[in-house]
Amino acid sequence: MVDTKVARRYASALFATAQKNDVVKSVEDDLSAIANLFQNDAKFKDFILSPRVGREEKIKIAEKLFSDRVTALTMQALRLMLVKRRESEVVSVHDEFVALRREFGSIAYVMVSSSEALEPDQKSAIIAKLEQKTGKKVEADFQIDPHLIGGVKVQIGDYVLDGTVRGSLRRLGEKLRRDVLKQN
Amino acid sequence: MSEVQKPSGAKTLAGIVIGAALMFVGMYLSVKQNDFSFLHWQHSLAEQGIPIDLGKTISIFGVFLILFPVIRLFFIQPLSDAITERTNALESTFGEAEDLRHEMTKMKSDYEQRLAATEAEARAQIQAQIKEAQDLRQSLMSEATAKADEMVKKAQQEIEAEKQKVLGQLRTEVVTLTLSATEKILGENMDSDKNRKLIAEFIDKVEVPG
Repeated sequence: MVDTKVARRYASALFATAQKNDVVKSVEDDLSAIANLFQNDAKFKDFILSPRVGREEKIKIAEKLFSDRVTALTMQALRLMLVKRRESEVVSVHDEFVALRREFGSIAYVMVSSSEALEPDQKSAIIAKLEQKTGKKVEADFQIDPHLIGGVKVQIGDYVLDGTVRGSLRRLGEKLRRDVLKQN
Repeated sequence: MSEVQKPSGAKTLAGIVIGAALMFVGMYLSVKQNDFSFLHWQHSLAEQGIPIDLGKTISIFGVFLILFPVIRLFFIQPLSDAITERTNALESTFGEAEDLRHEMTKMKSDYEQRLAATEAEARAQIQAQIKEAQDLRQSLMSEATAKADEMVKKAQQEIEAEKQKVLGQLRTEVVTLTLSATEKILGENMDSDKNRKLIAEFIDKVEVPG
């Protein structure tokens, strides 16, 4: 079971240490790689989360897999999580680490959705416009959703800026339904 | 009826004693009439054809004086008592009859009064019941009318609400179908150029909330 508070605590300690050693980017990359492996490799995930596998064996395999691929700090943190039986928090620690890094660097994270893949110039234009409007550096993830028909949708935190055809149709439908209800 | 006066015991006894004395004196004078000169006139009258014996007459008076109390004691007094008793009984009976008559008259009067009061009360109750029944009838009719009106009104409201609901559903359905059709047409007509144009418009107009 994932405990957000625990993940936040681990992430905070790791971020502080990484910042102090100026290896924030490297640690984040390491955590991303480990989290990707955790999410995409079912065998690795089952092995790490298995209660039948001993701690020493997990640490041994993890060191064998990651010691020459990740920074010493990341390896130390991973080892600590395995020792404390917090291996299930790895993905959450990565997410919290990224959130801390963005928070510390005053970076706004946006999710951009469009019906077809955006051209690089479109991506750059969107990011530039958002940076201009938010006054922050923007990190964006781009995803494709054919259901949007056309246009683009941007999610910043709790806000959604919907410029898609589907969004326009949804708003039009809501307005028409409200008018229908008013007529009743 | 007046009651026969009873003689006192002393008077009766005196009468008997006097009667006995007169009887004996008379008998003695009758027997010894020749010995007394003042009785010679009896002989003169006897010779003239009028035989009067003073002694016997006196004896007879004496006998009467003795007999009167006896007769009065054994005949007149019981008869008088019986008459008195009968008279008293009759008076008592008449009195009782009179009392009964008065009582009956009073009862009759009471009965008539009670009957009249009962009739008046019955009439009043009947009138009250009739009025109550009329009021109840009026009330029930008003209530029934109000209920019927309310039911009609409610039914009309329900019909209107149902009509509006169906109309609303129909309009909503029309909106949904129109939007679906629009979405389909837009999807079919969307191309990269139009998409780029849309994205360019979004970038141009986008505003980020503070």
